[in-house]
Amino acid sequence: MSTPMTPSSPAQDDALPPAGSGAGPDQGDLPGPTPAGAGTFWHGRSGLIMPVVIVGFSLYILIGVATMDVGDADFPGPQFFPGILGVLGLVLAGIIAAGILRRPEHPENSSGRSWRFHSDFTALGWTVGGFLAFAVLLPWLGWILTGGLLFWSVARGFGSRRPLFDILVGLFMSSVAYLGFSVALGLNLPSGILGGGF
Amino acid sequence: MDSLPLLMEGFAGAFTPTNLLWVVVGCLLGTAVGVMPGLGSSMAVALLLPMTFALDPTAAFILFAGVYFGGLFGDSTMAILMNTPGQASAIASTFEGHRMALDGRAPQALATAAIGAFIGGIIASTIVVFFAPTLAELSRYFGPAEYFALAVFAFIATSSVVSDSVPKGLASLMLGLGISTVGIDAVTGTQRFTMGAPQLFEGVSLITVTVAILALGEVFHVASRARRDNPDLKTRSAGRPWLKWAEFKEAAPAWGRGTVIGLPFGVIPVGGSEVPTFMAYDVERRLDRRRRLPQFGKGAIRGLAAPEAAGNSTTGMAMGALLALGLPVSATAAIMLAAFRQYGLQPGPLLFDRNPDLVWALLASFFIAMVVLLIINLPFAQLWAKLLLIPQPYLYAGIALFCGLGVFATSGRVFDLLLLLGIGLVGFGMRRYGYPLAPLMIGMVLGPLAETSVRDALLSSDGDYAALIDSPITWFIYGLLALVLAFTVRAAVRRKSRQDI
Repeated sequence: MSTPMTPSSPAQDDALPPAGSGAGPDQGDLPGPTPAGAGTFWHGRSGLIMPVVIVGFSLYILIGVATMDVGDADFPGPQFFPGILGVLGLVLAGIIAAGILRRPEHPENSSGRSWRFHSDFTALGWTVGGFLAFAVLLPWLGWILTGGLLFWSVARGFGSRRPLFDILVGLFMSSVAYLGFSVALGLNLPSGILGGGF
Repeated sequence: MDSLPLLMEGFAGAFTPTNLLWVVVGCLLGTAVGVMPGLGSSMAVALLLPMTFALDPTAAFILFAGVYFGGLFGDSTMAILMNTPGQASAIASTFEGHRMALDGRAPQALATAAIGAFIGGIIASTIVVFFAPTLAELSRYFGPAEYFALAVFAFIATSSVVSDSVPKGLASLMLGLGISTVGIDAVTGTQRFTMGAPQLFEGVSLITVTVAILALGEVFHVASRARRDNPDLKTRSAGRPWLKWAEFKEAAPAWGRGTVIGLPFGVIPVGGSEVPTFMAYDVERRLDRRRRLPQFGKGAIRGLAAPEAAGNSTTGMAMGALLALGLPVSATAAIMLAAFRQYGLQPGPLLFDRNPDLVWALLASFFIAMVVLLIINLPFAQLWAKLLLIPQPYLYAGIALFCGLGVFATSGRVFDLLLLLGIGLVGFGMRRYGYPLAPLMIGMVLGPLAETSVRDALLSSDGDYAALIDSPITWFIYGLLALVLAFTVRAAVRRKSRQDI
């Protein structure tokens, strides 16, 4: 976001470093732990997860096309368009995967030290986990409590270290949202146990 | 020339106290979100989408327009002061604009940007007023084959021009198109890819996908680096943002050139205003090299004026293309198209016939929004920068809460929240590994149109593929696409050969 960018490369701010050996360009000189998988095949190739997702989605579509109950539709029936998409997805995933295999991708790291993983999985865990808990508990605990929970866990994921204060701010925010959207605008938000039952 | 009386009626409709209120609220909200580092107008529109269903359509779209334009103004404020563009379209403004700010000329830079955005937006809106009805008239000649050509144009151009990797752009497009096919097929009533789950019969909601990709995915992505990259955010300088007459004269031609460069890109779907802003910047830089005292690199006022004007003139024209053709050229426009659909409105010629009140009030509100934005941005830009005092954890926690609120309020189902989480994770992966997001959004929105029109065209020609390319309009569209692609390839080749030197 804040990395200075050079004028000549509009779409290239995340451009790959020049293809080289498997090891990262300057990661070795930075203080901090060795990146996971450094020196192995997987270093710089975690991007393979995306082709895997694309292949999975394409196969889901292609299996759906094959097992679809169409009756007697005329030629370009409901399978026509998704069928093309599924095949296209497989081809693209292949091209992208081949690209990653040929030139591993190393994301830009401006923090001045190295990390085991480029992404902060603790922070991601708090954010994603908080949202999952919010989604699952919402019908039981109600909007205000789960909203406060979500707010707190995301704030914690982002590095806030004042749990009590965060929870109070979160409960305040979710209560304001409840009053504004449920009471004033009439949107349907569950009151949960605070509403006196299920 | 019968647009004028209609526009006057539109002004009458837009000048009601409530609609005026929504313009102002939209402009304030849009500027506020645009000012936040890293947040752009597309996220603001995505978060607002579920909220607006409590409003009547006219008020909702007036609000959207305010947010959209406000986001552009706010983006450039931050691009200049902090070097943190919220959207790709503000990147070109950072080069000379931020340098001006470092030079102690931040107020002048903000004024240049605000006036440039105002000029670009006003000129584009004026052209849209006279041009959109004609464009809508033209689109009456569009049959399934022509609409399919238009959709293919939008697909290919957005996924290849802006992204630095064409396969990644196309993969993003394929995901969007694939998601749009889930649900009961509109033509035959066949269930597709639902696994028998009744929650999927009506397809995956566009709101869920929009909020997941543009908002929740961004929250995850920022979370994954928040404690590691610490941007140095300091507000610099103060003072009254007035331009001296000499500065005004210096910037004026650049505003004009930027506007002209931006206009055509409102109708050519190449992924929004990123391309025209860079083109405008580049043109000014080339012109500058021929002057006796080159200014670029030292905070050239023209290097900021041109991209600002280009960005807003593209956005203004894009609204015209959206209203007249139903063609979204950027992710934000795609969300607005989705909003029209939610209200049961189909942009295009019929919209001008059936809902003239809405269309003209919306067009009139563009002008009002421009004036409001100039007023709230020109003297108060430094005040907006105070929004940076909100701590990052609370900002993003609030956004996550808002994501959940919006999706649950419109669907009322935990299922959609889980879907939101899942697609949000895909959005995170796409950001992490450099996949562009706009193709997914445009694929999701235009997918159904592309599919039904290609099937209609093939059904009525008994499966003869030549029917897709047998009218002059389709030749024109495919010809233009070939031209755009040729330019892209040329630019890519030149970039590569320059790297080798």
